[in-house]
Amino acid sequence: MTPERFAHLADAYGADLRHWPAAEQEDARRLLASGETSVHETLRQAAWLDRQLDTHRAATPDPLLVRAVLAAAFTPASSSFWRRHWEWLSSLGIVGVGLAGAAAGMLVVSLSLPLTGTPEVLPSIFDHGDVELFQGLDAEENDQ
Amino acid sequence: MNETDPDLELLARVGNNEPEAVKEMVSRKLPRLLALASRLLGDAEEARDVAQESFLRLWKHAAGWRTGQARFDTWLHRVVLNLCYDRLRSRKGMPLLEDDFLAEVPDSAPLPEEQLQTQAQHAQMAAALAALPDRQREAIVLQYYQELPNTEAAALMQISVEALESLLSRGRRNLRAYIAESDLAPQQRKASPGRGKP
Repeated sequence: MTPERFAHLADAYGADLRHWPAAEQEDARRLLASGETSVHETLRQAAWLDRQLDTHRAATPDPLLVRAVLAAAFTPASSSFWRRHWEWLSSLGIVGVGLAGAAAGMLVVSLSLPLTGTPEVLPSIFDHGDVELFQGLDAEENDQ
Repeated sequence: MNETDPDLELLARVGNNEPEAVKEMVSRKLPRLLALASRLLGDAEEARDVAQESFLRLWKHAAGWRTGQARFDTWLHRVVLNLCYDRLRSRKGMPLLEDDFLAEVPDSAPLPEEQLQTQAQHAQMAAALAALPDRQREAIVLQYYQELPNTEAAALMQISVEALESLLSRGRRNLRAYIAESDLAPQQRKASPGRGKP
């Protein structure tokens, strides 16, 4: 490794050789051990900036945030377990609502249709024999 | 790769809704995710939102996690990065709120000299990080603070390792220049080896 390459890596990764690309760490150590003064100076400068970076404290989780995150794990909206089952149950509900709606619709249609007229226009749920009976009654009433 | 993924076993237990595993996952990942988001966004409140949203996605995907995908920690970093990108894009042109980094420090009681100095150094570094271009800050946060291997950091940023090294070098030079020009820490300036400006 050349001192230039060493400087390039120190510029990018800082002074801690453990953070350097694994394939170049050994060469870097060897160069340092060789007593080359320029690389020691390079490393000193990188270490200075590392110390500055270390003065920055990251935000730490407060108890409120921890509680909120934990609570979300067990709510149906976020828990994978409950979500899966909730979606399954929801789909059953949607099918149920659909079936109930269809049945109600058929009932409304059947009740609102006029009972007079030709058998062809009546819903097939009526037996044609019953239709003839209804038509016969209508005819008798008209005669009276 | 997944044989060495240290999170897989815990993830499976989280997928089975084991309360102890859920707690362990939070203690293992929340500080790391919050640190990442807070350093990228420079806003403590937004960082909390991002951390919470990231965990919602974690809980959602835990049971369905398949081996053969990326390392779990890498995936989690990707989630946080994407959420941070969204927020950074939505406030394009607005400066980072570096003052928020100090939000946790109580200011009611007078602080001892040493604590004041620590606080000033932290504020100076927060301001220096906030002043960096987004991509340079991201590279430094992933490589230095999150201690990700260079290949992983580059993959997360969707750039080559060479491009990552270039961003890191420029970022570190900019930080050095910012600190050297700052009025906040004269003692550090005196100790500075006085490197060239970017």
